[in-house]
Amino acid sequence: MLFSLSSKYMSRGLKLVFSASVAALLSAAAVAAETPHAEGLTPNAPQVFAIGQLPVSNSMILSWIVALVIIFVARAATRDIKENPAGLQNFVEWVVESVRDFLESVIGRALTAQTFWFFATAFLFILFTNWFGLVPGVGTVGWGTPDAAGHLHHISRPLLRGANADLNMTFAMSIVFFGAWIYWALKANGPLGLLTHIFGPRGDSKGGMKLLLIVVFFCVGILELVSIVFRPVSLSFRLYGNIFAGETMLESMANLVPALAPLIPVPFYFLELLVGFVQALVFTLLTAVFTLLICDHGDGHHEEAGHQETKH
Amino acid sequence: MNIPTNLAEISGNLHIGLAALASAVAVGLIGAKASEAVGRNPGAATPILIQAILSSALAEGIVFFAIFLAK
Repeated sequence: MLFSLSSKYMSRGLKLVFSASVAALLSAAAVAAETPHAEGLTPNAPQVFAIGQLPVSNSMILSWIVALVIIFVARAATRDIKENPAGLQNFVEWVVESVRDFLESVIGRALTAQTFWFFATAFLFILFTNWFGLVPGVGTVGWGTPDAAGHLHHISRPLLRGANADLNMTFAMSIVFFGAWIYWALKANGPLGLLTHIFGPRGDSKGGMKLLLIVVFFCVGILELVSIVFRPVSLSFRLYGNIFAGETMLESMANLVPALAPLIPVPFYFLELLVGFVQALVFTLLTAVFTLLICDHGDGHHEEAGHQETKH
Repeated sequence: MNIPTNLAEISGNLHIGLAALASAVAVGLIGAKASEAVGRNPGAATPILIQAILSSALAEGIVFFAIFLAK
């Protein structure tokens, strides 16, 4: 083991992903040991050290750093709140108000007041973890095994790694959303209302047609139930896949022409800045729309009031 | 160079290639239609952006299902 700086990666691309994807899916909490001949980015986050029985991976360290930074900035900005905000308080207010205005335009004022804590936290946390993963040094400082000649070609255990390039992180966020979604849905509809929302027939028809529609909509409800159960899976894989693919692409681009290694990835860094923002937006938007779909039904007058409000 | 033998050589990750192809076409269609819609009605740019991002996210989700879930 040698502690050293190295940016020389050989990327075998997605072949690594296939072999270990099921293992990564199943071991939600476990951190697998480093693979002996891994080149490029490993699909699972390597363990850096352990606290007792708890393995600590490099993704966990990065997510803790980002969380601490967000908490510290929020505390520093709100320590001495002034009537006319200036400096840090002004900036943080601008960020929070922008997110709130955006959410209100998507899911309405009442639902935003109820669910702002989750969506704003998810958006800001995903955004800053994505961008922090792009800082030079993340993924290139760490431990590796030198070859016979003593050259270190590959870092098998980086000290830091993009937190969303680890399926555990994205799956944990999706599961938290799933729990919150069930709570909000039950609160808005009640247990019986939730069941009729999923399985109940829509539209008004009478007689035999109504009986037929009940059967049809029951089958639709089963399909909807399957899609609801698959939402955490698709949410977590979408975020993980995008960020992991982005980091793999940056490494491949650095290896494309060894002489131009520092130059070629630069345009892709800008692409990854954009992808990091868009994926944070997509996660927030999808979860917000899922919540809107289940909560904004049943009380028609409230929905109409919301529409009138947006028209003015 | 007979075709059946060459076809038999295609193996492994064909499903990912097909999924990537299809979702690339889907994302392209969504982007084209979204640009067209903004061109027709520039005032509705924000709602169209939301719709476009949502549908492209759903379309590209197919690739991740193909990569990670199908074996």
